[in-house]
Amino acid sequence: MSGAESLVLAQASKWYGSVLALNQATLTLAAPITGLIGPNGSGKSTLIKLATGLIAPTLGTVTVYGVPANHWSANRLVGYCPDHDAFSEDLSGAQFIREMAGLCGLNRADAAMRAEATLRQVGMIDRADRAIRGYSKGMRQRIKLAQALLHEPRLLVLDEPLSGIDPVGRRELSLLFEQLAASGVQLLLSSHELEAIEQVCGHVAIMTRGRLVATGTLAQIREQLDHRPQAIRIDSPQQAELGRVLLALPGLLSLELHDGGAVVRLTSRREFETHFQRAVIAANIAICRYEPLDDSAHAVLGYVLGGSGKT
Amino acid sequence: MTYRPWLGTLRPPIFGSLAMGRAGLRLLLRRKLFWVLYGLALMVFFFYFYMQYLVVWVQQQASDKTAIVAGVPVRIAEFTKFLDKLNLNGTASTFANFIWFEGYVSVIVLALAGAVLVGNDFQHGSLPFYLSKPITRWHYLLGKMLGVGAFVNLLSTVPALVLFFQAGLLYDWQTYYLDNWKLFFGILGYGAVLTVVLSVLLVTTAVLVRRTVPLIMVWTGLFVLSRALGAFLAENQRLGPQWRLIDVWNNAYLCGLYFLGAERTSAKTGFDQPAVWQAALVLAGLMAVCVLLLLKRVRAVEVVA
Repeated sequence: MSGAESLVLAQASKWYGSVLALNQATLTLAAPITGLIGPNGSGKSTLIKLATGLIAPTLGTVTVYGVPANHWSANRLVGYCPDHDAFSEDLSGAQFIREMAGLCGLNRADAAMRAEATLRQVGMIDRADRAIRGYSKGMRQRIKLAQALLHEPRLLVLDEPLSGIDPVGRRELSLLFEQLAASGVQLLLSSHELEAIEQVCGHVAIMTRGRLVATGTLAQIREQLDHRPQAIRIDSPQQAELGRVLLALPGLLSLELHDGGAVVRLTSRREFETHFQRAVIAANIAICRYEPLDDSAHAVLGYVLGGSGKT
Repeated sequence: MTYRPWLGTLRPPIFGSLAMGRAGLRLLLRRKLFWVLYGLALMVFFFYFYMQYLVVWVQQQASDKTAIVAGVPVRIAEFTKFLDKLNLNGTASTFANFIWFEGYVSVIVLALAGAVLVGNDFQHGSLPFYLSKPITRWHYLLGKMLGVGAFVNLLSTVPALVLFFQAGLLYDWQTYYLDNWKLFFGILGYGAVLTVVLSVLLVTTAVLVRRTVPLIMVWTGLFVLSRALGAFLAENQRLGPQWRLIDVWNNAYLCGLYFLGAERTSAKTGFDQPAVWQAALVLAGLMAVCVLLLLKRVRAVEVVA
């Protein structure tokens, strides 16, 4: 089992009656943290439910470390943080977590120990004895995350884990995700918060209309979109020399000079950068800013979904 | 925030069912309404408890004494004659009748419990939390049944056992316990029948119906209307005792009488009763239908939030 990939979807399709929610999705989690992005109704939730075994694929297979995802033993390896909360509101956070620990198969002593540890991990230990009905959205998110961590999963599936959390909390949870990833836990994180995805996730998987249309790093995906010119802002105190050098480079589609620099549009960024480095060194031009303008998650998602790059 | 690896082991999924049963029971006991209804159920118990004591006290202390009522001397033992029908004497009928009476409250409590324990999970979308843990859907259902079963036993078996021990203390305890040890296991047997029948039936109806009010209607139909209809067909229309078989509670009662070693003709619902095997067969058939319905439901259910 240790040699198997954490999550593998092989031509997995899911029909709800006559509705095709997921269409032949093939995915192998490669990065420690993978972001799942796409518009509403794109099939993200279906893919997550398949990954956590809550539903079975109509066609194809979904495995977690080699075990079919809808077999109970796969859930020992997977922690799931759903997007909605449906707690028993009368319970305190600690009581809820202890009950969930019991469901994981932990004995009373371990359940208490793990409940305390996970509540501490998500920063809820000092508020754990309050009734859930009094919790804010962010506190509920943390409680959901705590219950997903109880049994030390090797794969953590998080559906909108940052929704409703304030910027400080978001930073704390992002750090926690990075720590979990560093300790060997793989994370699949679905979110509409594209900045957060960009910040936390090494890889992204983009979905639309039930299909998994792109996977990889944002830069890799952007590189594949060669029909979309890539825009780069380059600032230099030697604007005129910079303009002359840029015009001589291959792959340049357009050049806009502005105060203190230029914005170039390119057919291939990789090819351009190879020549650009050599040219500016040869011409001895000082570069004080080099910023790709449209390889953000927003832009990439927009391009993949067929828009202008603005989402 | 730091990540601390935990190196413990997870127990088999059956322990998840036990944990779910405990959680379900706690969920019920946290509600004031259940304490009110449980208090109501305990009133039946306290009635039996004190009346059993009173009957024995009257028999032993004052049976030959008389009291003057409106100038007429009346034997004190006559005052407790009305209790004779209840058989408050530590016999099989005592415990069978006690559990029978507990049924009235049990039905109301369980109808509400079904919606709280199972219906809410479906309606409020709690299922993904449970089913993402290392248990199967059957373990989930078993956990819910354990919660219901524990509550059924708190309403019926446990108070009946207390009455059994009390009866022993009221008489010569060594003789009573030695002579009536079968009653102890009879109570457990009756309790087991009720636990299985009610928990499976409740979880099935709750999974299918989910909402409180329709669940109460279905439950009322199962236990009140079927009883009235069975009695009407068997007694008024004289169509034969087999028509009582549509009364689920009566079937369980007949099985209980069998476990307690009492004659079915001593049943408080009438001496013309169907055979115990017929009642057991109907209950077994009902359970089989419930399991088939659950099987269909469990296979079909898609956890869509």
